[in-house]
Amino acid sequence: MALGSIFSELTTGLRRNFSMTVSLVVTMSVSLVLASLGLLLQAQADRTEKYFGDRLQIQVNLCTQNSSADSCVGGRATPEQEAEVESALDGNPEVKSFERWSPERNYEQAQERLGQNEEDRKQLEALGPESFGTSYMVTLEDPNEFQGVQSQISGMDGVASVFSLRDLLAPLFEVLSKLRWAALGTSLLLIVAAVLQVSNTIRMTAYARRREIGIMRLVGASTWHIQLPFILESLVAAVVSAALACGGLAAFMHFVVYGFLRDRLAGLTTWVRWQEAITVMGYTTVLALLLALVPTLVMTRRYLKV
Amino acid sequence: MIRFENVSKTYPGQPRPALEKLSLEIEKGEFVFLVGQSGSGKSTFMRMILRETRPTTGRVYVAGKEINRLANWKVPKLRRQLGTVFQDFRLLPNKTVSENVAFALQVIGKSRSEIRRVVPETLELVGLEGKGDRMPDELSGGEQQRVAVARAFVNRPMILIADEPTGNLDPATSVGIMKLLDRINRTGTTVVMATHDAGIVDQMRKRVIELAGGVLVRDQSRGAYDYEN
Repeated sequence: MALGSIFSELTTGLRRNFSMTVSLVVTMSVSLVLASLGLLLQAQADRTEKYFGDRLQIQVNLCTQNSSADSCVGGRATPEQEAEVESALDGNPEVKSFERWSPERNYEQAQERLGQNEEDRKQLEALGPESFGTSYMVTLEDPNEFQGVQSQISGMDGVASVFSLRDLLAPLFEVLSKLRWAALGTSLLLIVAAVLQVSNTIRMTAYARRREIGIMRLVGASTWHIQLPFILESLVAAVVSAALACGGLAAFMHFVVYGFLRDRLAGLTTWVRWQEAITVMGYTTVLALLLALVPTLVMTRRYLKV
Repeated sequence: MIRFENVSKTYPGQPRPALEKLSLEIEKGEFVFLVGQSGSGKSTFMRMILRETRPTTGRVYVAGKEINRLANWKVPKLRRQLGTVFQDFRLLPNKTVSENVAFALQVIGKSRSEIRRVVPETLELVGLEGKGDRMPDELSGGEQQRVAVARAFVNRPMILIADEPTGNLDPATSVGIMKLLDRINRTGTTVVMATHDAGIVDQMRKRVIELAGGVLVRDQSRGAYDYEN
C-alpha cells in the first residue's frame, strides 16, 4: 500500500478515535513522568553516593589553624601528629583500610559541591585551600562498629573531629530511597493502567472497525496489513506521550533542580545535571514505545486473526 | 478448482454435524447453485472454501491448495484468488464507490497506477460508469450489490463466492445481478452461489447442488430449484 494511503488511513483512524487516544496519552504521559522522576531520583542517589564515597566510612579531620577543638591547641596538625594518627589506624583491627585526603583534595571536593551556587563559590575562594585540613577516609571491617575507632582517634592530638558518614548521611539516603520507591511504585500502578488501557482501546477499535476488518480479510489482506493501522496509531500515542513526559521532566529540571535545588540546597549534595536527565529521557522514550507496542501487538494478534 | 473429499464438520457443542461425508468437485469455469434450507450446511460449505473454518475430517482443495494444511499466513494469498459477494453488500459506508472497489486492491498492495486503471474498467463492466464518486447510501440496493460484485471481481479472481447475492433485491434487480454474474462466469471465473431464489435457479438452468442436514442430496447439471425428473 502506498505511503499516502497509509497516512490518510492513520489520520482518519486517529480522528475517529480521538477521545480514546487522548485519554491514553494522558495516562501514559503521567505514568511516564513518574517513572522518569523515579529514574532521576535513582541517578541522584547514585550521584550522592559517589560524591560522599563509600557510605561505610568514618571521616577523620585533622586540625587546621582555625580549628576550635581542645585537641587543636597547637593549630594545624603537625606531620608527627599525622604519622601518629596513621599508625593508630594501622594498628586498629577494626580498620579495614584508610585513605589520606590532602587539604587540596578536600578543597576541590568542596568546590565541586559549593560551586553550584555563586555566593558559596565566592566565599570558598576567599577562604582558599589553606583553610582546609588533611583528613582520612577510614573503611571499617564492620561498618556498625564505629564507636571504638571513633573514641580512640577523637582523643588524639591534632584531630579536630571524627564522624561516621553513615550516621550523618543516613537521613538523606533514607529520604531519597523512599521518594524513589514512591515514584517507581506509583508509576508501576499507572503503567499497569496504561497497558490495560491500550488493550481496551485496541479491543474497542477492533470492534468499531469490524466491518472494515472483515472486508480486509475477505479480499486477502495480510495480518500485517490489518495490524498496521493499529500499530501506527499506538506509535503516535507513544511518541506524543514520550514527548509530553520528556517535556515534564525538562520542566522539573529547569524549575526545581536548576531553579531551586542547585541554588538553595547546594550545600547538601551535588544535584543531577542535564546530562543525567537526558539519559533518563532516553529510557522514558523506550519505555513509552514498549508500553504502547507490546500490548498492541499482543491484542491485535488475538483480535485480528485472519 | 474446488474439491471436497469425504468432508465432515462438527462445531464444538453441536450434536449434529453441519456437513457429513460430503464429496463433490466443481470444475474451473462452472456456475453452481448451492441450495437447501437454512441450517442445511450451505454457509459451512462456503466458509470452508474461504478457509474461515476447517473440516473436522476429510479434505478440501481450493485452487490447488489443500486448505486443511494451509498455514495461517498463506490464507490471505488464497483469498486473493477468491471474490466474495454477500446478501448485505458489505460496503464501507464512509468510502465512495471507487474507493470501495479500490480498497480491495490497496490492501493487497497494488500500485496506485494499476488501481487507477483497473477500477474504472471494473465499474464499467458492472454498469456503474460515472458513479464512482457516489457514496454507497446514495445508491439503490441493486447498485450497491453491483459495487460489491465489482469489488469481488476487480482482482480477477479464479472463483467467485456469492452468498444470497439477490436476497435483499427485488426480482427485476435480481435479474440484472444474475446477468452480471453470468457475464463474469463467461470470462472463465468459477461461480458458486448459495440461494433461496427458486425463480433464478429455474431460469438459469445451471448445475444445482442441494444440501439437507449437512448431506448432499442432489447434484444435477442444468437443474431446477426443486427436484424434477
